[in-house]
Amino acid sequence: MDRFDRQSFLGSNSSEILDRLTVGIIGLGGGGSHEVQQLAHLGVGRYVIVDPDTIDLTNTNRLIGGTLGDAELEVPKVEIAERMIRGLLPGARITSIKGHWEGALEDLKRCDVIMGAVDSFVARERLECFCRRYLIPYIDIGMDVLELGETGKFLVSGQVILSTPGRPCLRCCGFLDDDKLKEEAKRYGDAGGRPQVVWSNGVLASVAVGLLVDLVCSWHSKSPDFVHLIYDGNRGTVVPSPGMEHLQKKPCPHFPANETGDPGFDVRTLIGEPVNIGEQGDEASSSPATSQRSWWKRMLDYFH
Amino acid sequence: MKVTFKITAQLLASVRADLKRSHPFAYERVGFIVAGLASCPGGVLILAREYRPINDDDYLRDPTVGAMMGPDAIRKAQEWALFQGHAIFHVHTHGGFGMPGFSGIDLRENAKFVPDFLKVAPQNIHGAIVLSHDAAAGQFWQSTESRSETIDEFLEVGVPLRKWGSHGSF
Repeated sequence: MDRFDRQSFLGSNSSEILDRLTVGIIGLGGGGSHEVQQLAHLGVGRYVIVDPDTIDLTNTNRLIGGTLGDAELEVPKVEIAERMIRGLLPGARITSIKGHWEGALEDLKRCDVIMGAVDSFVARERLECFCRRYLIPYIDIGMDVLELGETGKFLVSGQVILSTPGRPCLRCCGFLDDDKLKEEAKRYGDAGGRPQVVWSNGVLASVAVGLLVDLVCSWHSKSPDFVHLIYDGNRGTVVPSPGMEHLQKKPCPHFPANETGDPGFDVRTLIGEPVNIGEQGDEASSSPATSQRSWWKRMLDYFH
Repeated sequence: MKVTFKITAQLLASVRADLKRSHPFAYERVGFIVAGLASCPGGVLILAREYRPINDDDYLRDPTVGAMMGPDAIRKAQEWALFQGHAIFHVHTHGGFGMPGFSGIDLRENAKFVPDFLKVAPQNIHGAIVLSHDAAAGQFWQSTESRSETIDEFLEVGVPLRKWGSHGSF
C-alpha cells in the first residue's frame, strides 16, 4: 500500500509530480508553518524554507509544530519547519535559511513555486517583483484583525492571491498600492505584535496549498491562473474578490516582460572565461569580473 | 551546468499560434524568442521575454528547406542582442506530439548563425528551440569556441505548471 493512496485522485503520477516539485516558503510563522505541514503531508519533495526568527512564547498560539520547549530554547523557526517535514518525509531535500529571504535569492531562483506568508506590504511587493523577474508563480496569504470602531468587537479578514507571471498582480487587483506602502512606511517601527489566530491562518494556508496542488495536478477542470480570494473570518467564508473575474482577461501593466533575468548577467563569469569590459581586443585578465571566477579555477591559473 | 528554459504558457501559446500561419512561399515559419538570463545554483535560467516573428520579406526562396531566413532577419536579431541585451533563441515547430528533435538541416543551419550572436553579445548564451504541440527541445552555445549543448529542462509557467527534459517531467 502506498501512503499516498488516498490522494491518488490527484492524478496517476501526482506522487512523482509532487516529489519533484521545489517550493519556496517565505515566513514560517502562523501561516507558513501551516503550509509546510500540509506540503509535507502531500508529499512535496523539495523545499527552500526561509525565516530569520526564533520561536517565542507568543508564537505558540499558532505556530504549527512549535512546542513550549522550543520556545524556551528559542529554536529557529526553520528548524521547527524542517523537523515537521522530516517527520513525514525523511528523504526530503530541504534548504533551510535562517535569515531574510533577500539573502537566499540564488536558492529561491530554482523554486517552481513560492509561497509568501509575510507580514508587510513592502515584503509582498518585493517578493512578487522577485517572482516575476524569475518567472515563478507566487501564492500570497495574509490575515488581519481590525477593531470595529470602539465597540470592542473585531473583524478577522484575509486574502489568498495567486500571482502568475504575465497575469494580473497584487497591484492589478488593488491589494497593493502606493498609499498602502507609504502608510506602512510611516508606521515602521511601531507595529508591535499584531493579533493572529491559528484557525484563520489555517483556512488561508489550506486554500493556498489547494491552489498549489491545482497548479501542478490536473485533478479537475482547468483552474484560473490568477486568483484573488477574500476571507471573512466573522462569516467563515472565502469568496472570489469582486474584480477577480473581470481581471482574468487583463494583461498586467506593472511588470514588463523585458525585465526577466539578472541585471548584469554574464555567462563568462560562470564558465571562467576572461571578460573584456574595456576596449575590444583587450584581454582584460585583471578586469573586475575575473575576480568572480570560481576559486578553484583561479587556483589552477595560479599554479600554471 | 544545468540550463533551464522558462516561458509563460501565454507566450508559448502565442509562439505556436504565429508559427502556424502560412507564409506566401516558405513551407513553415520561424521566429526568435528573446530572453533574459539568470544564474542559479549549478546552472543558468533562460527566462523568455518576447516572441519576435520573422517578417515575411525576410525569408529567402529555398525549396530544399522548410524555411530559410535572409541576412536581414539575422542582422535584426543581432541588433536585439547587441543593443537591447537580449539572449536570442531561434524557434520553429515540427508539430506533432511528444519530444521533438532537431533535423540534420536544423543542426547544420543553427551552427552557422547562432554562434554569431555571441560575437555581438558574448555575455549571454544563445541558441535554438524546436517545438511540438506539447513539448520543446533546445540547444545553446555559451562561447564561440565551444560546441552546442542541450537545454536540460523546460518549464511552461501557467496552469498547469509543466516541466519536461532530461530530469523527468510533470
